Amino acid sequence: MEKDWFSWAKEQTDPLSSRSKPEALEGLTVIDASFEHMGGLVCSSVLAEFGAEVIRVEPPGGDPARKYTPDGILIRDTGLGYLVEGHNKWHVTLNLRSEEGRKIFKQLSSHADVIIETYPAGLMDAWGIGYRQLSKDNPGLVYLAIYNYGQFGPRAKCGLPDAEIVSQAASGIVYITGEPDEMAPPEFAIPTKVGNWLGWYTAGLFGAFGVLLALNHRHKSGKGQMVDVSGIEAIMGLIDYNIVWYHTQGEIKQRIGNYDTAVFPYTFARCQDGYVFIAAYNDQAFSTLAEVMDRLDLLEDPRFNSFAQRTKLENERALLEIIEQWTSQFTAEEIIQKVQQCISKKKGPAAAVVTGRVNNARETMAQQNWWERGVLAKIHDTNYGELVLQMPPWKMAGAPPRFKWPCRPVGADNEYIYGKYLGYGSLKINKLKEAGII
Amino acid sequence: MEDYFDWTKEIFDPDKIFSKPEALEGVRVLEICTRVFGPMTAEFLAEFGAEVIKIELPGDGDLMRYTAPLGRFWKDVAVSFFPMNRNKYFVGLDIRKPEGKELFYKLVARSDVVVENFKAGTMDRWGTGYRQLREINPAIIYVANSGFGQWGPNVERPSYDATAQAEAGLAAITGFPSRPPLKVPIYIGDTLGALHAAIGVLVALYRRHLTGKGEFIDVSQGESLLRTMDWTFLFQFLIGSPDGRPRWGNYDPAICPAGIFRCRDGYIGVAAQDDEQFKNLCTALKVPELATDPRFIDQTTRTRTENAKALYSTLSEILRHYTAEEIETLAIKYGFAAAKVANAQDIYNDDHYRARRAIVEFDDPIYGTLVDYGPVPKLSETPGRIRWAAKPVGFHNEHVFKKLLGLTDNEISELTAKGVIGQWSDRPGARPPITWDGRTGTGW
Repeated sequence: MEKDWFSWAKEQTDPLSSRSKPEALEGLTVIDASFEHMGGLVCSSVLAEFGAEVIRVEPPGGDPARKYTPDGILIRDTGLGYLVEGHNKWHVTLNLRSEEGRKIFKQLSSHADVIIETYPAGLMDAWGIGYRQLSKDNPGLVYLAIYNYGQFGPRAKCGLPDAEIVSQAASGIVYITGEPDEMAPPEFAIPTKVGNWLGWYTAGLFGAFGVLLALNHRHKSGKGQMVDVSGIEAIMGLIDYNIVWYHTQGEIKQRIGNYDTAVFPYTFARCQDGYVFIAAYNDQAFSTLAEVMDRLDLLEDPRFNSFAQRTKLENERALLEIIEQWTSQFTAEEIIQKVQQCISKKKGPAAAVVTGRVNNARETMAQQNWWERGVLAKIHDTNYGELVLQMPPWKMAGAPPRFKWPCRPVGADNEYIYGKYLGYGSLKINKLKEAGII
Repeated sequence: MEDYFDWTKEIFDPDKIFSKPEALEGVRVLEICTRVFGPMTAEFLAEFGAEVIKIELPGDGDLMRYTAPLGRFWKDVAVSFFPMNRNKYFVGLDIRKPEGKELFYKLVARSDVVVENFKAGTMDRWGTGYRQLREINPAIIYVANSGFGQWGPNVERPSYDATAQAEAGLAAITGFPSRPPLKVPIYIGDTLGALHAAIGVLVALYRRHLTGKGEFIDVSQGESLLRTMDWTFLFQFLIGSPDGRPRWGNYDPAICPAGIFRCRDGYIGVAAQDDEQFKNLCTALKVPELATDPRFIDQTTRTRTENAKALYSTLSEILRHYTAEEIETLAIKYGFAAAKVANAQDIYNDDHYRARRAIVEFDDPIYGTLVDYGPVPKLSETPGRIRWAAKPVGFHNEHVFKKLLGLTDNEISELTAKGVIGQWSDRPGARPPITWDGRTGTGW
């Protein structure tokens, strides 16, 4: 091999050179009609990053999701949440609550490979533009409906609006996140939400996964299908052994704060400048950690000398205290370096002492790694100005994903899209505008 | 026209799942992974029909086998190993030994996807990395999962899920401002990374249908997690606060109101995602004056920090007098979003999830009845399905080595004697349950 692996991998997959490569989903047309739902937008972001032509259909006046933003910050009428997921898409408006609007939607859909929607189950169908109606003339259509209660099952027809916080609450994640009783003041020892829009992001990602499965099947069969994704179930899909634990042990998993039921140490420890993540849970790794901390006596301590002993909650608490006596003397960076020095001399399970600095957003952004790997980038857009946004996380050699433009104003691409797909000129568009259709 | 829900019940009918085709039928995946990130990637593919061959070191195998919660094994399995290892074929093979490498090459020649999650560069050093494998099979799709990627300044650093949670900044925005940053108590850095990896594989398969070309995919835990952190970085860039995006405890600072509230008999998630829903919520809670209060007049105004804090404190005062059920009933009647904070038992016993196979009961040949999460996306034509549970190390050796590589009994014994292939060591986590008859479930 002429090159070392790292240089080769970088040369092949550096996002800096992605723009001259082919796109995997080129030629695929996607209509994203999601409403008040970042999950639909995340899904269409993924498809757009891989080269699909995404037509983002908003109601005239814009999707209320454009208003989801911290502290009321809007950039040109668009909130920060939407600006992160507006990229690479063509933005058109269409009033689906009007007869005429639905007729246009139907025509547009006949050109689509994929449709994404997030209304309560059955609403698009009642409007005559659900999968049943659209697939008649377009049997290859893949139709993704994202809705917390799904398209079938006893609660599917409840009619409740979708919401990210509901995905979190009902999934079981909130119940197990947070500090346990007696380890925090009572007002904080409660079920706690995850800080990001976890429900929407997982729903969108599982949506993209489902759409791609369906597209792969379409290659063989020519047939499209309906894909039903629930934001609640999307989070469940990441909650590992919650259910199987209940099934086999008859016990409900509870809040455990920064401790862990299955492996320890696997925790955040207080250090001089904040918190550091430390894991060393198999016996060999734990020996290595004891060596780094100069506490070989721990290996003889009956509370800590086996995997099973270390995962008893009272022992976890005692061990964390001991670890913090050590970590509190150093900064996170110093601890990471000390561990790194020691494990570079170890092999196999003994090297599995794993660390991490608990960063806030400023600290994360100060790390060169993310910029060099191209997952964060500063973008200058003539309309939205200077932005820092997350970039597609996949590095691929052949047909990599890429970022093209951050967002477009409401209805900015009406002329282009309606012209391209339906042959509308400015006369027709103006007429529809006056009628409140677009 | 037929009622929409009668129709969806029919097209998604769970009883017909096993009589429908699978989206990834005919796709063979070699998983050479440990713990969660890699195995979960292959699991997602296996749920939709890919034939996943999980290659482990003979003897102890995947170290995830020993991460037994509270040190408890069930039928000699650490149950945390179950959710990410279903539908797979289990093979014990040491690819670092010359004969093992040869067998691996032969498997690669007949496979579509390789998933690995070693430290960057390890497979290449062993002669089993993408550069070597594409010579054997140019159409191979190779996904390398790691903490920080296959190149870059952090390439030497090992990483677990919580490394990603810490470094990407998720922990810093989870929890209460006056309390420490919180670890999300699931392996979310792994599972979200795995979901990204599975998406990457499907994109590559899609392209391969058209071009016949293989692909190399580098997926990082931290980068996958960072991608899902919504407006965190854009906000930080615009505001430049030294503390970064603050923790908001149980309230969403960007959609107001959307939060987890204490109610009379537990906790409940409540949201009003547009102005109309907000009016509905205010009417339902008999505080219509809030909807016309200038501080709360529209979504953007409500998210201004002062206003949001005021509204959340008012709502939490009101909602604590209702039971979860009362609030859920009001939500349906008036039109806003609400759901109580559910635990494993609630979900396990819920008819809705059972009817959707979001919670699925299945019968494993060696472990008996198991209940676990079902595949997440529900596909009408090619639904995902759960066939069987995880198995001991090397459980399907004969099946795989005979069927795919045509090895004879003699060759298998010889290779076993050399430690090239092998089965479980005699310890909980690796071995079959004591009740096993020595044959059932092996596919041989």
